[in-house]
Amino acid sequence: MTDRRRFSLQASVLIGLALALSQSACQPKRQSDRLTVASAGRIGSLDPALASTTGVLQVLSALGDTLYIRGTSGELQPQLAASMPVLGEDRLSLTIPLRRDVLFHDGSRFDAKAMAFSLNRFLRIGSQRYLLNNRIAAIETPSPYEIRLRLKEPSSSIESLLTSPYLTPVSPKAYADHADRFLNDRFVGTGPYILNSFRNTQQRLLPFRHYWGKPPNNVGLDLINLSNSTALFGALISGEVDVLLSNSIDENQKRALSERADKALLRESKGPAMNITFVTLRTNSPPLQRQTVRRALAHSLDRRLISARVSYNQREPLRSLIPPSLQGGKTEPWPTYNLATARQLYQEAGYCTGRRLQVPFTFRTNVPSDRLMALTWQAQLKRDLPDCVQMTLNGVESTTVYKQLSEGSFEAVILDWGGSYPDPEAYLTPLLSCKRSEGNICKEGEAVDGGTFWTEPGLQAALSRSDSLQGKARLQELRAVDAMAAKGAPYLPVWVVAPKAWAQLRLNPPIFNGNGLVDLAQLGERR
Amino acid sequence: MLWLIASLVFLLLRVAPGDPVDAVLGSRAPEAAKAALRSSLGLDQSLWNQYFDFLSKLVHGDLGNALINNESVRSIISKTLPASLELGITALIIAAVLGLAVGFSGIARPEGKLDFAGRFYGIGTYALPPFWAAMLIQLVFAVMLGWLPVGGRFPPSLIPPEGSGFLIFDSVISGNWAALQGSVRHLVLPACTLGLLLSGVFTNALRLNLNRSLKSDYVESARSRGLSEVQVVLRHALPNALLPVLTIAGITVASLIGGALLIEVTFSWPGIAMSLYESINQRDYPVVQGIVVAIAALVVMVSVAVDLLVAVLDPRIRY
Repeated sequence: MTDRRRFSLQASVLIGLALALSQSACQPKRQSDRLTVASAGRIGSLDPALASTTGVLQVLSALGDTLYIRGTSGELQPQLAASMPVLGEDRLSLTIPLRRDVLFHDGSRFDAKAMAFSLNRFLRIGSQRYLLNNRIAAIETPSPYEIRLRLKEPSSSIESLLTSPYLTPVSPKAYADHADRFLNDRFVGTGPYILNSFRNTQQRLLPFRHYWGKPPNNVGLDLINLSNSTALFGALISGEVDVLLSNSIDENQKRALSERADKALLRESKGPAMNITFVTLRTNSPPLQRQTVRRALAHSLDRRLISARVSYNQREPLRSLIPPSLQGGKTEPWPTYNLATARQLYQEAGYCTGRRLQVPFTFRTNVPSDRLMALTWQAQLKRDLPDCVQMTLNGVESTTVYKQLSEGSFEAVILDWGGSYPDPEAYLTPLLSCKRSEGNICKEGEAVDGGTFWTEPGLQAALSRSDSLQGKARLQELRAVDAMAAKGAPYLPVWVVAPKAWAQLRLNPPIFNGNGLVDLAQLGERR
Repeated sequence: MLWLIASLVFLLLRVAPGDPVDAVLGSRAPEAAKAALRSSLGLDQSLWNQYFDFLSKLVHGDLGNALINNESVRSIISKTLPASLELGITALIIAAVLGLAVGFSGIARPEGKLDFAGRFYGIGTYALPPFWAAMLIQLVFAVMLGWLPVGGRFPPSLIPPEGSGFLIFDSVISGNWAALQGSVRHLVLPACTLGLLLSGVFTNALRLNLNRSLKSDYVESARSRGLSEVQVVLRHALPNALLPVLTIAGITVASLIGGALLIEVTFSWPGIAMSLYESINQRDYPVVQGIVVAIAALVVMVSVAVDLLVAVLDPRIRY
């Protein structure tokens, strides 16, 4: 062996040894028994009055309780309430008996006055206070452990609204100086965890020893917020974090994690799909003014193919504005992908015979799946109906899209929506509601804000009526509204996204509640 | 200069499409709720009123409050600036040491293999797309090898030491060695990545200036006096070649902010550039304005300091 080869061999062995040593030496040592849970995006504020992002709602769900909660199968369960709400005979009051064994993290007692304080605070300063302001006329405390909500008009959806983490009660004592302003870096509620430390990118949660319910399965949580998909994915793969909660990771990385779960290298859980993606069509000007053309487009959309290409089949194709996980959401009134019917409708509208429908399709440039969906649909239309329809694509940043939507700037644009609470009403009203209309054109209301400008005589009345009904009658009414929208086709639902969570093998699989949030207290070592 | 920058940022933000109210209420909030919030935030005032209000507050050192959560902009800057400075200073040191060492290495044999490698390194690191390089480094050293943390600034299992906000400094002062180890481990990847990407500038600058110095009259004169080549290079050529490099280092501080943005986003580094990025996305006008003014002030201060330092070191320059 020559000197040079011997030197190369020795150098290779040394480098290999150094790598092996560094691998073991540099592995982060676990410095506590707390679980590390990673999610996307920074937490700017823990004030429930400001909460809107999934990340904040997830933390709040661990630090606080709500009056009611949606269970894993979507059923309403009392949490801080002692039993189900009692509706007054006039259907304009809702009386809620409260638990008597609940303490806030600062030791003060939870009672009707504390609940009223929190609700009134939300009504005064809450960023989404319009959700309550539209419904609640007054908040009363008829007894120390009973709260009564006086409603402006009968509302069935308010029960679902009361499951929202932004209505979690806060301690009046701790928030005395913040009754009319936000408290961003502290939280004093009633939940299974107390907030031990808060930074925008890291929060530590420790079990609350005087919690009224079942104590957490773990000794505490270190929550970290990472800013990009690769970091989140890598942190779970490298074992740096125990649990990953996120919908913000890339589709191929989601698929890679699912594949690892299939090989029993990780645990994967899926929550109720609550976030819907749809194409908004502007119906107040030609050519999409014509229902025939909109229905032709609806028949031209191959959801299965698009979902397969964009999300590796991880996004469920959707043919309703109501997510299937919600009551009333199991129907599929929107037209199916059918090329023969589509062609017939295009022909009826005067296309396919030397004339092609021109569709300028806008997508949000900062949402990667939107771009992929747009490209795939464009290619699919070119393959299926090249003589009938031609799609041109425009990319616009999402803030600009939202700003210009009500100005009617986009003929067809892909958007998404997640209801503020788990109820069909939280999807139908923001997408379809209309205050003032002329025929099928909405002049004022959510349909204008949403960019469709579409309504139907009787739709608004049916929407209002549905909120005053209960049980099966309500579901029927909601389905009727969904069917009216399907017939008019101002929106083309594309898919619905289910939240996912992954945990290391030694842990229990994460469990989602009916609001699509993981029950962090349940996370723990598998026994 | 600062007034001009502040005014430009104010104007550009208002001209840019988008609405901070959407970020607070969501895009589907009723128009009445949006109008009410717009009014409470003062966004319904005329542009002139908003501008004069901003300027008068700025003059008094009041940068206002964030629209999103009402936190004071000064507090946001004081929380995030130390993180960026810690990253930036470390990266600058790494860039200078690495860049100058590579730039200097080829000087013994100009146009030789080492010199060619140095030239390639200088151009290569300068041309590397920062986001791609950062992701690659993150994937290799954090995900595949698992040597260093994927992101963040501090181990989640520890409580960061209180103090100046410079975690390494605070850890040393408080004698918290676990915190020191944790913060250094988190700093290594982002600082080395940023340092590597900036080092090419130093390499090229030193190579060019050193070559020019070695061909100058005073070097010839030193050689003719019988000084050894090492003495010629270290005593005469290098100090003169380093002066322009110092000026370049000052200019690099400005480009450091741009590079830091991509590095901070990739490595989830909670610095001022990341705050700026988030605030721009949310159209949080006061935060964007405050951060840009703070960065501009920092760049101006560093430029003045570098100019003064060059004047001290170079007797030919007098103000």
